[in-house]
Amino acid sequence: MALNATVGDRIVIRGHHLGEPDRDGEVLEVRGPGGSAPFLVRWGDSGHEALFFPGSDAFVQHFDSQPQ
Amino acid sequence: MKAIEGIRRSGVGVEPARTLRDVAGIMEQSGLGTLAIVEGDRLVGIVTDRDLVRRGMARGLAPDARIDSVMSTPVITIDAEADLHDAFAIFRTNPVRRLAVVRDGAFVGMLSVDDLLIDLTSDLADLARPVTAETVFAHHHSPLPVPT
Repeated sequence: MALNATVGDRIVIRGHHLGEPDRDGEVLEVRGPGGSAPFLVRWGDSGHEALFFPGSDAFVQHFDSQPQ
Repeated sequence: MKAIEGIRRSGVGVEPARTLRDVAGIMEQSGLGTLAIVEGDRLVGIVTDRDLVRRGMARGLAPDARIDSVMSTPVITIDAEADLHDAFAIFRTNPVRRLAVVRDGAFVGMLSVDDLLIDLTSDLADLARPVTAETVFAHHHSPLPVPT
């Protein structure tokens, strides 16, 4: 899947069922070439870390690295 | 259509040394019930929430037991560039609901029976549309050609 990310981005997985909330995590490392997957992601507030391989249910929220 | 293009849900991978408790938490946080077990970029197993219950809790394993003690291996895989229809044959001959999708031996995602069913349902709807229209609505015949 052509989804690129950088460290600090937010990964969001849309809920799969009616009423199921979106899931999200923070990108800690980019393991693929050129910003591609897999990404090491810290999930929610739990602190759980795992490798993430994005599918069509996921998108990335990029954050401006420049201070405002 | 390639196998990798049929994947609808994201995949998550963890190392073999992670604990049952960790993996249960990751499943809860990610909303996924099946995770890949990866060592580096090499796929070594697959684990489901059902494995945690039947092979873990039911056998009295401690929550800090390693996840590779309950994983399934070897994993049935399909190449990312393979035709999606190749997956039908694999599902037909193997009692599994998910295939690990790999590229050069590295895990890249998980293809499920649900993914294929969604595509098939969509295809069937497309095929049924003209048939339904022909059955439900009046036919409009083209006029015969006028002899010249």
